[in-house]
Amino acid sequence: MKAKKFLALALAAALALSVAGCSVPGQTTPAASTPAASTPASSTPAASTPAASGEKVFRYAVSSEATSLDQQKTNSVGDNELVRSMQELLVRVVDGQIEPAGAESWEISPDGLTYTFHLRENKWSDGQPVVAGDYVYALQRLMDPATASPYSFIGEYIVNAREIEVGEKDPSELGATAPDDSTLVLQLVNPTAYFLSLLGSASQFTPCRKDYVEQYGETFAADGEKNVYSGPYKLVSSANQVYIFEPNEYFWNAEKVGFDRVEVNVIADSNTQVAMYNNGELDYLNVPTEQVPAYDDVDEAYMNGSEDWVYINAKSDNKVLGNSNFRLALNYALNRVTYNQLANNNVYEPWGNEVMPMVSGVKGFYGDEYTPNGYPLEGDAAKAQEYLQAAMSELGIASPSDITIQFTTSDNAGWKKIAEVIQEQWQTTLGIKVEIRQVTYSEIYSNVYPTHDFEVGYGGWSPDYPDPYTYLELFISDNVYNYSNYANAEFDELMKSTRTETDAQKRMDTLAKAEQILLDDGAVVPLQLRNQHYLLDDDIGGVNFYFSGFNIDWAYGYYK
Amino acid sequence: MAKYIAKRTVAAVVTLLALITIVFFLVRLMPGEPFTNPKLTPEIKANMIAYYGFDKPLPVQYVEYLKNLLHGDFGFSMKYTNRTVNDIIGETFPFSADLGIRALCMAVSIGLVLGIVAARNRGNGIDFFCVIVAILGTSIPDFIMGAILQYFFGIKWGLLPVALYKGIEYTILPATALAFYTIASVSRLMRASMLEVVQQDYIKTAKSKGLSDFRVTVKHQIRNAIMPVITLMGPMVASVLTGTFVVESIFAVPGMGKYYVDSVNNNDYSMILGMTVFYGAFLILCNLIVDILYGVVDPRIRIGKK
Amino acid sequence: MSNEKSPVLEQQEQEPLTADMFVVVGKNEAAMDAISRPNLSFWQDAWRRLKKNRPAFIGLCIVALYGLLAIFAPMLSHYSYTAMDPNAMYALPSLEHWLGCDATGRDLWVRVWMGARVSLTIGLCAATINMCVGAVIGGLCGYYGGKLDMIVMRIVDVIYGIPSLIITILVMLVLGRGIHTLIVAMCIVGWVGTCRFVRGEVYRLKEQDYVLAAKVLGVPDFTIIIRHIIPNIMGMMVTNLCMAIPGAIFQEAFLSYIGLGIAPPDCSWGILAKESIAVLQMYPFQVVIPAFFICTTMLALNLLGDGLRDAVDPKLRGTE
Repeated sequence: MKAKKFLALALAAALALSVAGCSVPGQTTPAASTPAASTPASSTPAASTPAASGEKVFRYAVSSEATSLDQQKTNSVGDNELVRSMQELLVRVVDGQIEPAGAESWEISPDGLTYTFHLRENKWSDGQPVVAGDYVYALQRLMDPATASPYSFIGEYIVNAREIEVGEKDPSELGATAPDDSTLVLQLVNPTAYFLSLLGSASQFTPCRKDYVEQYGETFAADGEKNVYSGPYKLVSSANQVYIFEPNEYFWNAEKVGFDRVEVNVIADSNTQVAMYNNGELDYLNVPTEQVPAYDDVDEAYMNGSEDWVYINAKSDNKVLGNSNFRLALNYALNRVTYNQLANNNVYEPWGNEVMPMVSGVKGFYGDEYTPNGYPLEGDAAKAQEYLQAAMSELGIASPSDITIQFTTSDNAGWKKIAEVIQEQWQTTLGIKVEIRQVTYSEIYSNVYPTHDFEVGYGGWSPDYPDPYTYLELFISDNVYNYSNYANAEFDELMKSTRTETDAQKRMDTLAKAEQILLDDGAVVPLQLRNQHYLLDDDIGGVNFYFSGFNIDWAYGYYK
Repeated sequence: MAKYIAKRTVAAVVTLLALITIVFFLVRLMPGEPFTNPKLTPEIKANMIAYYGFDKPLPVQYVEYLKNLLHGDFGFSMKYTNRTVNDIIGETFPFSADLGIRALCMAVSIGLVLGIVAARNRGNGIDFFCVIVAILGTSIPDFIMGAILQYFFGIKWGLLPVALYKGIEYTILPATALAFYTIASVSRLMRASMLEVVQQDYIKTAKSKGLSDFRVTVKHQIRNAIMPVITLMGPMVASVLTGTFVVESIFAVPGMGKYYVDSVNNNDYSMILGMTVFYGAFLILCNLIVDILYGVVDPRIRIGKK
Repeated sequence: MSNEKSPVLEQQEQEPLTADMFVVVGKNEAAMDAISRPNLSFWQDAWRRLKKNRPAFIGLCIVALYGLLAIFAPMLSHYSYTAMDPNAMYALPSLEHWLGCDATGRDLWVRVWMGARVSLTIGLCAATINMCVGAVIGGLCGYYGGKLDMIVMRIVDVIYGIPSLIITILVMLVLGRGIHTLIVAMCIVGWVGTCRFVRGEVYRLKEQDYVLAAKVLGVPDFTIIIRHIIPNIMGMMVTNLCMAIPGAIFQEAFLSYIGLGIAPPDCSWGILAKESIAVLQMYPFQVVIPAFFICTTMLALNLLGDGLRDAVDPKLRGTE
């Protein structure tokens, strides 16, 4: 009979609990579990109504959790954005311009190979001075194979970096030295025109404290107290999928730091983000492409640097893809305007060239200085047919319906729709058959594209530095990212010569020439440049956007 | 009974070991790799493979994994490179469990009541109403239900918070969304089971001996009818408490469900294994409890006695 | 115990029975042999009762109608389920597009029924296979118990513990994307639920007096299972089956939600629902369509399930 009483009791208690219940885990855990207790203000993330408390809080959402906030192991644009606000870069890219930051000034040797930085006086969030040795240690750590940084390739410009990465040399042999506490010397393998832009956006080059790394070992930077900060903000807590930042009072430019607290919530569902913004729970919102029309008059947009295209595996078993006329037919058959309307709600920029126009040219933007002859955005069905007929006679194929190509795409959100639209257009315009093959996202960049196990496939690139080279190097025959298996001796030769060229004008002319070769050869089917529409609270200023390495930068954001 | 429990505990350990072994080798068969950054070069990948010890032969890795597991160490996640799986489970499970318990309490209490009321009013309007509620619950996918609840209660009417999990008012929508499907299955099963039981001889006996209708229902009918519901509860408790991907992502609950699905999508081997072991152990425990409850609730079944 | 006497007993005490109250009517040999109602087999009787149950019959009609539309509607429409139209994005229902168009201007009437093919096939196949496999194995475990039960139940625990996503991905690796893959993957994982459930039921039933009586009389196990156990769990199983079909359809929808569904440009109700949910606030009608068809199907299946449950219940046999 006990059982029955228990049952009745449990039932009654159950309903009561489900509605009223005791406290929710999040209410107690962040305060109790994070040693952020040293900064008591942080332990009440629940009370986040800035107006009520008079606190200047900046709140926004990211769609996925950072993979790592260890400055040398950041692995994505999202990671980079957060770390850039809490560690001081040598120079900072602000509104596309390079501005002094951790370094007050710098000199570049005439051969473009030696960079000497004069550091300014700055302190870590525990009050210790930031010295040149911290930058050197950071770079050695980045290249050390024992660190296993997923992004270490970004340091390969420095002398000996590559040898260290593959274990042939010791990290101490890196071409980064500190003659004294305020001077940092970096030696490069090639004169690299865009090196400063790279330093200004990539968090992997920010300093790192050896004692903290040694103390926390593999869990270094796993939470707020497991790292020390040299930048405008310090991370107070990263528990429960909320990142909480507070100003670093020891930062050299602390009076310019505008927010009392920054809260970054991880919210995977973009509809939920929209709802929270509309409810006034967020100050900044990335508008999902489907919903852009609803905010036609109020939103603004920036180009986030991602360019998408269709890779064509030139050495595929499917022989038609090795034929440049057929590849051109694919390019001309695509009406990129209609495509963009159907697949992306007209939000992105249809694009028929390979290099993004906003990267740096000789003096201004590449897109203003060079206009390579790309594909017509609206397509050209007649020309496509011409190329197709030429390809068919070269290959001895009687009818377009004898041609079947397989289109690889991943299960990633949005990729499916893109594949469907392209499939439909190619099938109707060219009369060929297009099959869609969907693989998981983890597969596509591990054993589909790198092993060239595909015919044509959707992909793209987000640049780390604003230079045409970042897009063009993907087609150099021995480049690891050359998924297309594209090989063109003339193109390779041109690209190679740009690496050592110190004359900016000549270098850029050569790059433009190389781009034209790709386009004439139909090496790839460019699709679009991504626009990110956003909404930002009117009271907030100083937030800037960029397309390479990071998208949003609120390090010097403020309330107007 | 003690002997039975001991026997089942041994069996549970063996089951868990089998589960770990199977999943350990199955995940390696999955297409793709844990390191999926499109910019990863072969050299860096080699460094990362060495860092996680994947360059060793698989059996060696397996033995090492088991050794670490004995110390309760699930290892480091491969996606969130400086966080341990223990840390992630420790942080997210309380949220999932909290949400799960709320949803379950709501679902079971409402579900049982609906089922009982429907069965007792078989064929009339009340029954029809209960059935419709139950059907609605089962017929709307959770991601639609979640979005609709969020849209009306959160956005349109502004009654409840849209998302996050920071206080009691935040728990209501996700718990309701999560409970809906369970309410439906519990109530339907309970209704069917009640109708099944009502024809049994002992009910007729109880009635004919003049027991009040209420006592017959409570003492005889419900107690016997609840058996199938209890069977259903074992796996239900385990799956609801360890998090649900859809509801957690719609309402931005920092729970386990998201990691469970993401770890599989990312081929995050140590995370998949950690989550599986945790979930598996939890499930086995729930099923064990259910089997024991059987004996407690139904006097006719005496488990472990021949 | 209650001390009150029942009214019937009181009446009997007041008027004692006497012999002159009874009349001998004799026996009518012909009437004794006459068969008062047609001799119906179990299934004939079930069908007869199902037809009399109006809600259940309506449910059956809806399911049949959807089945027919799924087969014929795409053939009869002049739209292809893949043809896109940039001028008809998110179009509302009209004479050209009966149910409007989706995000890429594809005709939703055709897509709904193409989706129905996938969803209904997956739902019916997966649920039926799961039910049969689970019932047989669960029945054997519950009936025989002992070692067999112990071992199978541990296997069930292991299968329950393996993330179904891993299994789905692996099956997909072997068989490629498609309906068959999803059905196979769902069956590998799905039968264990039914198995546990049926086992529990059989555990309970085998202790019932009529089973005991049959055993004492020396009825072979096989006959006991067929004649006593199965008919008695049939009702619960039918209810369970009707829950399992939406379960399978939802499972497919969930897999679509996280991107592991069937290959494009094919679609299912799950995919339609998933795609529409992104624009819930702007184009609510997009959500209404898949939700309506999923809901009505479930409603129909549930009504049918209830009717079937009553129809196959041996204790209700012969009742009107």
